[in-house]
Amino acid sequence: MKTYEVFLKKAGKEPFGHAGSLDAPDDHMALLFARDSYGRRSEGEQIWVVSRDHILEGNQSDLALADRSHKHNDGQRVSELRTNQRLKKELGE
Amino acid sequence: MMHTLDDAAIEYLLGFADDELCVGQNHSWWIAVGPFLEEDLAFSSIAQDELGHARMLYEFLELEESVDQIAYGRDPREYRSAHIAELRCHQWPEALVRHVLYDLAEEVRWRALSKGSWKGIAAIATRAIAEERFHLQHALSLAERLLATAEGRKRLLPSFQRLAPMGQELFRVNLDELQLVESGLLSSPLIDQKNSWIKNVETFLDLFNCEINWEQFQDAPGREGMRSSDFESLHAEMIEVLSLDPNAKW
Repeated sequence: MKTYEVFLKKAGKEPFGHAGSLDAPDDHMALLFARDSYGRRSEGEQIWVVSRDHILEGNQSDLALADRSHKHNDGQRVSELRTNQRLKKELGE
Repeated sequence: MMHTLDDAAIEYLLGFADDELCVGQNHSWWIAVGPFLEEDLAFSSIAQDELGHARMLYEFLELEESVDQIAYGRDPREYRSAHIAELRCHQWPEALVRHVLYDLAEEVRWRALSKGSWKGIAAIATRAIAEERFHLQHALSLAERLLATAEGRKRLLPSFQRLAPMGQELFRVNLDELQLVESGLLSSPLIDQKNSWIKNVETFLDLFNCEINWEQFQDAPGREGMRSSDFESLHAEMIEVLSLDPNAKW
């Protein structure tokens, strides 16, 4: 048996999401089982089944760097700065 | 054209519904003890579909009693199931082989109903065929893969040889079968349906050099109301929960 990963896409603009995994003797049976295991109640309108062998796994430590909070810019600080500047201008300072 | 539910039609459809009920119940015995998780889920899903088909057929018959009463509350002699449907098949090779034989038969049987002139039943058949496509794909794919190995052939082929002849009973009815074609219920006579099924079974088994002795079939009286020895435990299982509190509201 081989292990497969199953992805489902709901109707509309939703992206494919990981539904789960399964074991099957080959690709053909994997597709059949994917439908019964993850799509039998019409949970999605499209299905991808990928053999786990074909998934490239990155190095976990590459993702676990120290403090990367400066990359999480939600724009709040810039927006505060701009608001303050505008207020100052309006007040004629 | 309006159809009238004549006695032959009732006998035939009741037999089909009872086959579906028994096979659905028997398949569901494998829930949680299937050979592996994925198969467990697939097989339970098929069981549920077969029970759904039984319900559609019972409802179509518009009998006086409720569907639950018809499905669970009849006297054993009032059931019309074929004995192959009643078999418990508590060994996986038997359960899988019955699944293959039964679903190959269903394909032929539903098609004859879908092409008949009774609109209500043809609609039910069309819906069933959409689900049956997956059942058959599942049954044949799994059986093919197991039969490709010596071990699989050793385990499955004896079950095919034992059960296939019994499957012929699925194409029987208690009353005049010519009436079923004359009334437009079936697009082809049961004898032709049986021969197509036999041909399909043989085509599949030819790949594995397995021959069936069709003559081995002892005419089974399931359609006349005689239950097989497996029916009692099957029926007890069907009504196990119901009999805890027959008046419970669900």
